[in-house]
Amino acid sequence: MRWPRALETGIACGIVLACVAIGARRARADENYFGYSYGSETLPKGAFEAYSWMTWRTSKGQGSYNALDLRQEIEYGITDRLQASFYLNERYLSIDGAAPFEEEDGVETPEYPDRNEFEFQGVQASLKYNVLSPYKDPLGFAVYVEPGWSRVFKITGEKQNEWSLEFKGIFQKNFLDDQLIAVLNITPELEVRKFIGGGNKWETELALEATGGLIYRIAPKWFAGVEVRYHSEYPDFVHELTREHWATFVGPVIHYGAEKWWATLTVLPQVYGAPQDDSRSTTLHLEEHEKLEVRLKTGINF
Amino acid sequence: MRPVDRVLLLLVAPPALVLTAMPARSAQYLSTEEAQRALFADANRFEPVPVALSEGDRDAIAEVSGTRTPLPLGRIWRAMRDDQMLGHLIVDEVYGKHEFITYAAAIDASGAVLGIEIMDYRETHGGQVRESSWREQFRGKRRSDALELDADIVNISGATMSCKHVTEGVRRLLALHDVALKGR
Repeated sequence: MRWPRALETGIACGIVLACVAIGARRARADENYFGYSYGSETLPKGAFEAYSWMTWRTSKGQGSYNALDLRQEIEYGITDRLQASFYLNERYLSIDGAAPFEEEDGVETPEYPDRNEFEFQGVQASLKYNVLSPYKDPLGFAVYVEPGWSRVFKITGEKQNEWSLEFKGIFQKNFLDDQLIAVLNITPELEVRKFIGGGNKWETELALEATGGLIYRIAPKWFAGVEVRYHSEYPDFVHELTREHWATFVGPVIHYGAEKWWATLTVLPQVYGAPQDDSRSTTLHLEEHEKLEVRLKTGINF
Repeated sequence: MRPVDRVLLLLVAPPALVLTAMPARSAQYLSTEEAQRALFADANRFEPVPVALSEGDRDAIAEVSGTRTPLPLGRIWRAMRDDQMLGHLIVDEVYGKHEFITYAAAIDASGAVLGIEIMDYRETHGGQVRESSWREQFRGKRRSDALELDADIVNISGATMSCKHVTEGVRRLLALHDVALKGR
């Protein structure tokens, strides 16, 4: 079977990141200890960092569902407290019989078709400002804003035109000589989207997310811990604030940091979600989430 | 190739390339002998000083210490010029973000810091603590001084963790000197 051209582009992006690493000269970082949660530190002024994000989402309790969200990020320290990032996103979706069925004129049809595609997904940019240092102040704190645009719907792969605006409040508390790190992120995100071929109707949605984690330095360069993610969505929140669905994920995280690069792996199985489709699971919400998410982040400093 | 195999390949390929391309690098700037010569240029010999601490001594040191690394009891030397004692040299380790930061402190017989040298630094950032302008702040500090970041030691933005831990380390060494080395 021939690989989609975009898939090859994804591998090329990884090679480019490696080449950037080879050319790295100066060593500075704002590395991520967690896959989903941010710390409150920012890059020093004038420093750059390149990231590669890979998130594998799999299993909807029916048929076969595999999604790979790829992201390449460049981060720059504008001042010692303010950093800017730019993101490129791609998405690979392999769906085979995983869509829920809806009845139309007495005939049951899947809500979205099977597909096997790798596509450019969209772009984002962000600003992060460090208000309090986790090393000097009783509690580290940063604020974050991220506008974005997406052309592929995350769950189904349907083409869309989506604009989003995400805010984060980032808290970090260090313990035990800064060897034990706790973080908490509170993230509201506003989204408006229109599906291509779906008329002129714009949908609005509010996503509320809380992520957090605890990680400890178990050996030089190695950290291990646990990460938690709660995600909920409120469609058409402008007219009525009703939580349509939610899911909670809990799993281990491991982080390795060398002088010029670092890597973080988080494995997050869904532990509970609602509403449930009993034919798929009696404890998990699998229409808009999956049973398992695995995220690998690598960062290179230059 | 099955889609899931492609996914696994994509997960593994870029980090594997980075891992092979980026071997870890250590940065040892000074050996113990070089640190001894840098901090006590007039000394013509260094005598190891064995130190045994009572529980009370350890408690007194821990009270002022912000660092949890083991006390450097086997890495203390008396700097001598013929029969004259110039001071003590202590090689200590504090936590960096990923590795230990190894540094040496020279303390004179009255308990004042003569200078510090960063011997081994392998962190991603914060290497500015090696700059002499920052290390010079410790000269003359005594146990009675606060030795706190943003109080009597100026922080370096972007190197806060390293500044904090080295400062806490020197504070602990001054307490160790006061408790166990003064007059020896």
